[in-house]
Amino acid sequence: MTTAPVIAPQGGAPGAPLRPRRPQRGSARQWLRRSGKTGFFAALPFLAPALAAYVVFVVGPMVESVRLSFFEWSGFQGAPQEFVGIKNYVRIFTQDPVFWAAFSNTIIWVVLSLVIPVGLGLTMAMVLNRPLFGRNTFRSIFYIPGVIAPIAIANMWRWMYNPNYGIGASLAETFNAPWLAEIQWLGDKNIALYAIFAAFVWQIAGTNMVLFLAGLQSVSVEHVEAAKLDGANAWQVFRNVTLPALRPTTVIVVVLTIINSIKVFDLIVGMTGGGPAQSTQVLALWSYSQSFGNHNYGMGNAIATVLLIITLVIVVPYMVWTARSEKES
Amino acid sequence: MRSRLKVVAMATGTVLLAGLAGCSASGGSDGTTEITWWKLTETADSANAAITQIVADFEEAHPDITVNVEERSVDGHKDALRTAIGTAGAPDVFFSWAGYGLGGEFVDAGASLELEEYYDEYGWKDRFSEANLVPITQYGGYNGVPYTQRGEALFYRKDSFAEAGIDTVPTTYEELVAANDKLVAAGITPIQFGGTVNWHLMRLLDNLLETECGADTFDALVAKEASWADEECVTDTFVEFQKWTDEYVNEGFVSINNDESSSLLYSGDAAMALEGDWFNQVLRDNDQDEDNYGIMQFPTGTDRLYGFVEANYISSNSEHADEAAVFLDYLTSEDAQPTFIKAFGSQSVNVDVPAPADQSALDASWTPIFTESKGLFMNNDQNLSLSETTEYWRIQNLVATNELDPKKAGAEFQKFIDQQ
Repeated sequence: MTTAPVIAPQGGAPGAPLRPRRPQRGSARQWLRRSGKTGFFAALPFLAPALAAYVVFVVGPMVESVRLSFFEWSGFQGAPQEFVGIKNYVRIFTQDPVFWAAFSNTIIWVVLSLVIPVGLGLTMAMVLNRPLFGRNTFRSIFYIPGVIAPIAIANMWRWMYNPNYGIGASLAETFNAPWLAEIQWLGDKNIALYAIFAAFVWQIAGTNMVLFLAGLQSVSVEHVEAAKLDGANAWQVFRNVTLPALRPTTVIVVVLTIINSIKVFDLIVGMTGGGPAQSTQVLALWSYSQSFGNHNYGMGNAIATVLLIITLVIVVPYMVWTARSEKES
Repeated sequence: MRSRLKVVAMATGTVLLAGLAGCSASGGSDGTTEITWWKLTETADSANAAITQIVADFEEAHPDITVNVEERSVDGHKDALRTAIGTAGAPDVFFSWAGYGLGGEFVDAGASLELEEYYDEYGWKDRFSEANLVPITQYGGYNGVPYTQRGEALFYRKDSFAEAGIDTVPTTYEELVAANDKLVAAGITPIQFGGTVNWHLMRLLDNLLETECGADTFDALVAKEASWADEECVTDTFVEFQKWTDEYVNEGFVSINNDESSSLLYSGDAAMALEGDWFNQVLRDNDQDEDNYGIMQFPTGTDRLYGFVEANYISSNSEHADEAAVFLDYLTSEDAQPTFIKAFGSQSVNVDVPAPADQSALDASWTPIFTESKGLFMNNDQNLSLSETTEYWRIQNLVATNELDPKKAGAEFQKFIDQQ
């Protein structure tokens, strides 16, 4: 038989029952316990590598980008960086003939992204959450565009929109509707941005659907049945039971949509390059064009900084508001 | 646990050492000097074979030098150069278009070695024509060695011209416009362009600018010694340009690229293309009957050749500049150029290398265009800075899509130039 080791309690006689050690007043451990930080500091050694990688590969380039926005630099390693203060910002806001078009296109893109692919994803999730024949097949079909490389999607849709050999030309011939062949999907500045957006919806709606499907699994079946028993119709069940339960998923989808839409790049590059005449230009691509195309790193990074501020202005208040709403509920 | 950590540390160290050993091997283990040459990826097998042959022949003739060729796409090449130039990772020799906005950027950045001593040593001042040397010497001194000289002209389908009743090749601008009208009447698109690649449609605008303004004013405009807002010929240029895009260029050009628009030429839906001497090989690669095509200069009235020079530059921080010069001397020599021009074009940059005797009729039609031209005017994306080129294209496309009054185009461009 083993016996427990006898540990002399502090200040007590040997063999006296154990009492928990009380931290000394002013000790580090007491401070940690009072401030609730014991767990964090204990975890810090495990977080440190990821934190270091985040600082080096994310925070560092961000800070460097903001710093470069106050300089003029051609991007060549040996070329000097000339400090110009806010000159780059003055230029993009007052002299750049493309900036404001890119800015408004970016805002339009974000707003449309929050409405159409999010709404479509939720609708598809609601439909495919029911026991339907071929449900899994449909889920796969709708999700597949989300795993195709964006530049491949751009190439595919560019060919679909081709005025000579694309879908418009084929449909025009099939239905004897020549006006269909005359639509310049990517050549008409009034519709080109929305034509590209259609490709974006095709790409992203399935991913949103998958996220909402996952969220729908957490909706309590009992609550839904109870609501129905109380006489709620489908819309009332959706609004009062399903949507509130989907709130955490909705936050994720909305935040991801905002971030992905603000930095849209591949589809624009692949389908129009920002044309015709920069009418489909967006801030991310214009920043890239200034830096890597025109060797104007100062202006390119100024545009990137503006993009960063827009992202923070939209995302941070939304997340704060969401967190507060969750706390209140 | 400790022994496991030791194993991991040893493995990591081994991998690092192996990686370092593979870096910057500018000195071969057998005592040879290795130089790196960065260039564009060749899409034609014949071009690849020619480069491989030339490098092999050079190395055989110079067993103490090996040439490591690295190829990239156009944008990949530009990106790689921008990040590597001026660093230890820069190549010894790199390809670039020789214009101010492209090769000139490297010269401005101090990345190109001035080569006058090699020009004297190897007699390059007499090897290359004046037209080829203009882009090399425009920065003062000698920056780069000519690699190719490209000419651009109008390719036309003989069957389309015959169908439209065009009996003689237009030699004046008015005759060209009249030919366009005949083609339209015959239901044939006069000329095709791919508008998503801005430089394609730009060729038309450049030629119209030369036509309306003449050589001196054209040069003054691109050198910013004349005002785009004040010269009346600039307005005339953009007015003519809009007329061409409204009436003579393929519908939907704005939303297709040059490869897609070229298919209209191959199918006979379009009669002409404004392309370069490399297009001869493109026609062959697309199974086109060469005998059905003719080439004529855009009748600007100035007798200057529309084209550009591509060059190879030696990095200013290359440790093997002498060896690089030996290679470039061989590349442009009478030994290598016959192999080169068979695959790359009809004209050698070396004035002493004639066109091949067994050239096709289409290839041979470039010879008088090159030899009889009086000077060269380059594509404006080589004449202008990168920012100016971006704006030039924006205004070009606004006029082409009727979004900007052509009478305001010159002033719009001058406003941008003044703000730089």
